[in-house]
Amino acid sequence: MTQNRTRGARADAPRALPSPNPARGRARTARRPRKPGRFLPALGRFSLFALPGLLAYTLFVLVPIGMTGYNSLTNLNPFNPPTQFVGLRNYVNLLSDAEFHQALLNTVIITAIITVLANVGGLLIAMLLDRPTKLYVLLRGVFFTPVVLSSVVISVIWQAILTDDGLLNSALRGLGMDEPPGWLSDPDLAIYSIAWIMAWQMLGFCVVVYLAGLQGVPRELNEAASIDGAGPLQRFRNVTWPMLAPALTINVVMLLITGFKAYDQVRVITNGGPGNGTTVTMAFQVVQTAFVSNRIGYSSALAAVMLAIVAFISVVVLRFLQKREVSQ
Amino acid sequence: MRRTLIFGLAAVLAAAGCGVGETPQPEGGASASAGGKVELSFLVFETPNLDAAFWDAAIARASAKVPEVTIKKLVTPNIDRTAYAKQLDAAGNLPDILQSVNPAGFAQAGKLAPFTDAELANFIAPKAGAIGGKVYQLPYNTQVIPVVYYNKDMFAKAGITATPTTYQELLDISKKLKDGGTTPFIVGGGGADTWADMYPLTGTVATDVYKKTPDWLLQRAQGKVKFTDPDFVAAAKKIEDLAKNEYIDPAGLSRSYADTEQAFRDGKGAMYPMGSWFATSADANKPSFEVGAFPWPTDDGSPVTPTFTGGGTLVSATAKNVELAKKWALAFDEDKENNDAFVKADGSIPAIKGYTPPADMGPVYNATVAIYQKGMQDGSIFDAFSQEAGDGALPPGLADKAALGVQDLITGKKNAQQFAEFLDDEYAKATQ
Repeated sequence: MTQNRTRGARADAPRALPSPNPARGRARTARRPRKPGRFLPALGRFSLFALPGLLAYTLFVLVPIGMTGYNSLTNLNPFNPPTQFVGLRNYVNLLSDAEFHQALLNTVIITAIITVLANVGGLLIAMLLDRPTKLYVLLRGVFFTPVVLSSVVISVIWQAILTDDGLLNSALRGLGMDEPPGWLSDPDLAIYSIAWIMAWQMLGFCVVVYLAGLQGVPRELNEAASIDGAGPLQRFRNVTWPMLAPALTINVVMLLITGFKAYDQVRVITNGGPGNGTTVTMAFQVVQTAFVSNRIGYSSALAAVMLAIVAFISVVVLRFLQKREVSQ
Repeated sequence: MRRTLIFGLAAVLAAAGCGVGETPQPEGGASASAGGKVELSFLVFETPNLDAAFWDAAIARASAKVPEVTIKKLVTPNIDRTAYAKQLDAAGNLPDILQSVNPAGFAQAGKLAPFTDAELANFIAPKAGAIGGKVYQLPYNTQVIPVVYYNKDMFAKAGITATPTTYQELLDISKKLKDGGTTPFIVGGGGADTWADMYPLTGTVATDVYKKTPDWLLQRAQGKVKFTDPDFVAAAKKIEDLAKNEYIDPAGLSRSYADTEQAFRDGKGAMYPMGSWFATSADANKPSFEVGAFPWPTDDGSPVTPTFTGGGTLVSATAKNVELAKKWALAFDEDKENNDAFVKADGSIPAIKGYTPPADMGPVYNATVAIYQKGMQDGSIFDAFSQEAGDGALPPGLADKAALGVQDLITGKKNAQQFAEFLDDEYAKATQ
């Protein structure tokens, strides 16, 4: 019953848009024919507003992407000229590059963890904060604070907490644990520490998006479901969760992108260590290969592959989730 | 409307920086600012010891000697000035003058201006760090890397009465300390400061590899030797064993450079293998115990003093005025007050003829200089692995890889042989 209502409410929306209005139709037909030459000023106005954005987008996005694509087909190393065209050799080398595989795996681990943790945590906290009192409004601000802080600042703070002599281990020692875990020094743990920090930072973003979604759920739907005898879990599953589909889409896509471009936290907290490659992400490897090893051609191939992976996953996930939105 | 469109387009083009009408500067010529002075950019890096006030004062002193120049100071976002210089260079903005950037790669690509023999006349080791016979970085100071700084109280408490002269004695001391509940070595390398874990290996490579083959890294570049050769593996094995015996605490790998120094000050370990720059830090901000210093010992007790000489100022080959930039760089590096400031702030040992450090230097600095001077006397000066500049330097990026590999050695993820194989692989990648 509840689902039907929900579906009904959504199904009405698209029908309302093209509603044929006879009066409007008459107005259109009655409109005077356009004077010759008026199209040009309209185009001019359009260009005036669109051109700066288009120019900036071309200069700062399209041109660099094109240059990266071109560089990826060369052995460009500014410290080892001359640059030669090497075709797809860089891409072929990537297939057998163990460090790239490790970086890809690390990136996937980080992305998966932050997507799940921040979404689950964000939803739970949003449901707790979905109350109209001033205290809860204040708490929303508190949860959002890490989102607006610089990742470097967040990283420095968490480094101080997680380092061997840091706050967390001091507390654990105080509680009687002789050898607390090496959160950042243990090669098996460090990647999870980084993922935790990123999830913590993005939690506030998910909270705000889910809160906006929750506030868009019509109260009558829940009331009707209650009258029909639905308990809290059933109401969540059949009313709230379907209505949160757009919020889920935003959160998942944003977290995927955040996970795939993880760099700042790795740079500040572990510099890719402890050991070779334990916390190296794809973005980190791109920068290191370009600006430490000077292999800009190879680094461009890494960046191109990273772009392709992020674009592919984003499109697939977006389409899947949007399809889910429509079907709810 | 058309006028609006034209005006709009003009505004967009202007905002995009098309620079119509801008007069290009003649190549290598001076760009004179107001008052006929040449403005040159100077890339520096800030640390707790070398802070903004230090650089401003040092720049002012050099500029007073070369009044034709005004300096625009650029500060690196972190201590890794070489990586930042590469980023600036990739964007076509290599600064005119650079401080303590590793010249490897820049020099070979013709991006740096060499100094002439006449310009290097005042330096003690004028050919230090030469690349293809040319010197691109002023060899203004020497650092001993590593010196083993130790906590005299902890040594006394463990019944250790003399510093070790052989490697076996170092191991015996370490065992005594560990048995007494003290971590023998403080080794860091956390955060962005991965490099801070290198110093024990720098010591063992000097004693086990460079002592036998001083130009080993040059031979590595020529393909005559490999990291998997027995001597290098033996040097790495010593670090593997120190970690296996728990003389090095792997948990220290989460500590940044500053935290590592603090851990030594807090008494979390008895020995701190570090570059000689720690000396003035220990003198200026004394820990609650007395700090001693000894060189990394060899198997047979013969002296080996790993050092790095160079580290000074470099000039871009495309500086607005190369000659003036070199003149200013020399004024900066040779200035007595600047060198006094470097000595006081960063424990440097200036390699400039006739220079004597201030008389009021502290005991740890004096002990460090004594190690260097003894090395000079007995001819035991060798390169410091991963710190080398010039023809015998590691390829770009390999020092960072080596530091990450040392973390694997310490955590047990790699043994000495695997570490050596890893370095050979990375060497091949870095030079392909």
